Amino acid sequence: MGAQPAAEPDRAAMSAKRVTPELQQEIEQFLYHESRVLDERRYEQWYELLADDLHYFMPTRYNRMRRESDKEFSAPGEAALFDEDKQSIAQRIRRLNTGMAWAEDPPSRTRHMVSNVVIRSRGDGEYEADCYYLLYRSRLEREVEIFVGMRHDVLRRSANPAGFQIARRTIILDQTVLLARNLSFFF
Amino acid sequence: MKTDSTSNGRGRLSSEMLRGLVDEKTGTLDPRIYHDREIYELELERIFTRSWLYLCHESQLKKAGDFFSTYMAEDPVLVVRQKDGSVRAFLNQCRHRGMRICRADCGNARAFTCSYHGWGYDIAGNLASVPHEQDGYRNEIDKSKWGPLPVPRIETYNGLVFGNWDKDAPNFRDYLGDMLWYTDGYFDRTAGGTEVIGGMHRWVLQCNWKFAAEQFCSDMYHADFSHLSALIARLPEGVDPSMGQMPTIGSQFSSRNGHGTGFFTDVNTLDEFNGPVAAAWYQGPHRAEAIRRLGEPRASQISAAHMTVFPTFSFLPGIQTLRVWHPRGPGEIEVWAWALADRDAPAEVKEAVRLGVLRTFSAGGIFEQDDGENWLEIQKVLRGHMARRQKLNVAMGLGHQQTNHPRFPGKINNVYAEEAARGFYRQWAQMISGEI
Repeated sequence: MGAQPAAEPDRAAMSAKRVTPELQQEIEQFLYHESRVLDERRYEQWYELLADDLHYFMPTRYNRMRRESDKEFSAPGEAALFDEDKQSIAQRIRRLNTGMAWAEDPPSRTRHMVSNVVIRSRGDGEYEADCYYLLYRSRLEREVEIFVGMRHDVLRRSANPAGFQIARRTIILDQTVLLARNLSFFF
Repeated sequence: MKTDSTSNGRGRLSSEMLRGLVDEKTGTLDPRIYHDREIYELELERIFTRSWLYLCHESQLKKAGDFFSTYMAEDPVLVVRQKDGSVRAFLNQCRHRGMRICRADCGNARAFTCSYHGWGYDIAGNLASVPHEQDGYRNEIDKSKWGPLPVPRIETYNGLVFGNWDKDAPNFRDYLGDMLWYTDGYFDRTAGGTEVIGGMHRWVLQCNWKFAAEQFCSDMYHADFSHLSALIARLPEGVDPSMGQMPTIGSQFSSRNGHGTGFFTDVNTLDEFNGPVAAAWYQGPHRAEAIRRLGEPRASQISAAHMTVFPTFSFLPGIQTLRVWHPRGPGEIEVWAWALADRDAPAEVKEAVRLGVLRTFSAGGIFEQDDGENWLEIQKVLRGHMARRQKLNVAMGLGHQQTNHPRFPGKINNVYAEEAARGFYRQWAQMISGEI
């Protein structure tokens, strides 16, 4: 098990690489757009926002004593909630589109909220974008699940209408035992 | 209209009434077994304190002081590797005021100290130190009598560590009984043995534990329909969706002790469930060694299997997901699941197993998602008074079992049958009613 998968960037280095308000807004608008696409279940359109070399990763998490807190998260090569490439995401979307994916048929109602967006440039048109998320899910008659945590994304400039593609997404969930029936949707 | 006997208080649960909740001879179940709080309390007492329960895999406890915090039903237990290499387990409860001794999920410790008043325990679970022993207790406390309750029986079977609260319980192999031939075929395939891949999946489902345990014991039937979307999605693009259908030829085994397994015996695409890299290993060096150790049909003719060791330990051989269903009241479970791999498999094979399991059988797995959907909705329907008065059907293949199968020992039925479910519920009813 491993250390915090997405450490806060060094403040001094950050101020040297501070992005412009225009870029900050552009990337935030991209994240809002992506949330909307997911919440409206436009999965093919969301798939177009993913880079071919996508790594979509959500580690598991454990209660550890403070002296072993470097092992709070599962390390690469250990159990993860998601550890996907673009191909396995395509498989998940194919499943949702069969009309027989019972965990999402009838579909859940989701609302992806993002805040605390911090951006830094990696050069060559790549940006790291950290955000906090709150994902609300309502299902069938009265089931409600709320997921809260942070995301660490690597976004890449793209010629697509949205302006960026997601090259990497690490999802941190603030739970150990997952308090949900499943993860049949995307973060 | 008759009054429902569930409203009549504790005295209603006579042995006769409890035994009658399951009728394995006609293949019917009374759905109150999934919903009734008092029946659940009896399960904790009469089933979970007398059955062998899965604790962990040996590979989780590599060195002295390595501990894993788990549960035996609702009771928290600490499982700890000792300095002499043995494994001990004890109730994770300080005997002073009942506080949980250790609140970490896992780790390495030289000692455990209760955070309430500081009672200190060694890794074997002995009470070693008590603050204010001299001025507070006047040296009158006998520390040897106030350690946490040890799990009196611990046995390791092919790397799997099981515990039992009943000091008079049969040993684990006798408990497996006629299931041993099958579990040896699943867990004793190579000399190198197995390990669990680091980390684990834990999640909550609002359903009774028996839905999950029974399905893994006996239910190949649901796969074709519940999991059809996943079977289709995994096909290469452009392939006819009918190729996603499950195979048809296979058998199901029902143990005298409530365990069960089912499997296919015709060659099928599920052999490659975890992708070509894992398939090359499991069909190659792994299989060659299994043939030497086990012979056929266990080495290769049993595929895409499901199994449960009564009550709550389940495994999908080939797919390699291993789990325990911890009960949390009549209407909730925690699933604790691991991926199991050959210890001496190359790293890329272990990686393929890890990815295969997490993408298919985990909270986010494209197969597992649909299982939970079924179990949770049944549980909700059973809030209804009339719904609880409808007998449920567990009769598939009733009367068509055989005990003289040419290849498979024990009581055998078709792979699409509920023979093992009837055996599972018979064991449940016999234990809960005090018959055994």
